[in-house]
Amino acid sequence: MVSSNGSAKWISNPMWIVFIAFAFFPYIPFVGRYISLGTEVLIWSLFALSFNILLGYTGLPSFGHGGFFGIGAYTAGIIFLRVYKGVWIPLVMSILIGGFFAAMVGLLVAKKRGIYFALITIAISQVFYFIAFRWDQLTGGETGLSGVDRMSIGLPGLFSIKLSTPIHYYYFVLAIFILCTVLIWKIVHSPFGKVLQSIRENELRAKYLGYHTVAYKWAAFTISGLFAGLAGGLYTLLINSAFAFVLDWTQSGNVVMMTLLGGGTVNFFGPILGAAIFITSRDLLSAYWESWMLLYGLMFVFVILFIPSGILGLIGGKKQTILR
Amino acid sequence: MAEFLSFAMNGLVLGLIFAVVALGFTLIVGMMQVINFTHGVLFAFGAYFALSLQKYVGFGWALIFAPILVGLIGLILERLVIRRTYGGNPLFGLLLTFGLAMALEEVIRIVWGKPGYSVAAPKFLAGSIDMGFMFYSKYRLFLASLAIFIILLVWLFLEKTTYGAIIKAGASDSEMVMALGKNLPRIRMFVFTIGTILAGVAGVIAAPIWSVRPSMGTSILMPAFVIVVLGGVGSFWGSILAGLIVGMSTSISIMFWARISDIIPFVLMAVILLFRPRGLMGEKSVLEV
Repeated sequence: MVSSNGSAKWISNPMWIVFIAFAFFPYIPFVGRYISLGTEVLIWSLFALSFNILLGYTGLPSFGHGGFFGIGAYTAGIIFLRVYKGVWIPLVMSILIGGFFAAMVGLLVAKKRGIYFALITIAISQVFYFIAFRWDQLTGGETGLSGVDRMSIGLPGLFSIKLSTPIHYYYFVLAIFILCTVLIWKIVHSPFGKVLQSIRENELRAKYLGYHTVAYKWAAFTISGLFAGLAGGLYTLLINSAFAFVLDWTQSGNVVMMTLLGGGTVNFFGPILGAAIFITSRDLLSAYWESWMLLYGLMFVFVILFIPSGILGLIGGKKQTILR
Repeated sequence: MAEFLSFAMNGLVLGLIFAVVALGFTLIVGMMQVINFTHGVLFAFGAYFALSLQKYVGFGWALIFAPILVGLIGLILERLVIRRTYGGNPLFGLLLTFGLAMALEEVIRIVWGKPGYSVAAPKFLAGSIDMGFMFYSKYRLFLASLAIFIILLVWLFLEKTTYGAIIKAGASDSEMVMALGKNLPRIRMFVFTIGTILAGVAGVIAAPIWSVRPSMGTSILMPAFVIVVLGGVGSFWGSILAGLIVGMSTSISIMFWARISDIIPFVLMAVILLFRPRGLMGEKSVLEV
């Protein structure tokens, strides 16, 4: 089980390794050229970390988390195209709107557990998909939104960074990723995070200890939605567009898969490792084999069956997982 | 008025297909607590098997053989992997079947190709019939009566046979059923196979009025989820009732405002859950522990 024993320093040793590895990624021979792939890994890592607040720490099997990623993605696009052509305002709105929708959905699902929780989160994320698909005045319907350019950021007169250059955007996302990773780390290691873990272990007991567990679950859901929304917004800026595909239910499955594959249920850093492996292998597979989905589905089954505690769980020798 | 009636009739037919699919789904969730993501793709397999078989043996025999083949796939899946998920976190079974569903959908693409097909209804069911107040497609009427027949058959089996009683007992207290000397693993295997056969049958009968394409599984899976939650997880009549409600409301909303027809079932689900947290006919069950 992923737990948060010991002191909660702002930055821990494994965190340094992760941050330094990402910082030098563009300079690694051969792979370093694929900057956009690296940016995508960072974005999905952030998304998976946010999701793991629910799955790994609170034990809530959300299967509709792609919904908040997608809402963040569309928000950034809509705000950029209609309200303000910039970087910060669309991203801040992605966070707020993603969090707002998570708060609303949270009201509906916070009392649920297990199968009901999973089914209802799937169904609700599907609503977002259909809305994005049908409300074409706002979302562009099937064609989606395009032309979401990355503007320059900086202080007028002092300096300016052109985010339209891939490498600049990579480091921009990395900075946000580092900030969010530290924040999520602090959240799950706070007294609040401890209560979430106690809910995962035994909700009834946590309730008898006097904690309003439904409120805690709702808060976890909302916080998770804030970060997922941000990841979605960053994704829109990466691909300069937003399509209904970001809201597809398979995206929700993918984030669960990444989290489990890396070992998110036993290690804070699992989701990051999982996202890195997942995004890279998906890119490789789909480039060489048209029917890669077959292999991909079977890989999914293999991981769930044989390494349910994920790669970091396997290395750490931890067999225990919330899956059984 | 005539227009409304035909939309309502189409809704009824759609609702009956949904009900058969959801019935198989709810049997599996109720008995094994597994959210079976492969249910949609097995529905698609039913349609594709019918497509291939009817060239050789005709639609009538395809109607019998295709669901059996689907049941066989279900049986193999259950024996090989799905039985490992029993008693685990619901996410375990859900993820496992999610992976399987992706792989199986790709198998459909490899075997039958990406483009869609249309399946012709058998000749003797072609055309329409005068129902007194309106003309209606013969095939759709046949489909509706067949669906009702299947639902009744499943109901009779569950309510009036000893084996049905054991299945229901297994769903509410599996440990006790084992203690009484019943072979629970075999009962579960049986229920899973029946559930997948129901998905297969629905796929076969839906084939002539649905476009047969690899993604047709997903297009039935989501309504099935909603229906099961709306009707109450594990409830027989709940899933029938919810299936009809979802089918009718989808179809009738197409008449008034086609754009929101996909969303209607989800809105219904959200509203009903606010007032009845366990769905229309759901009871407190093992699922909520």
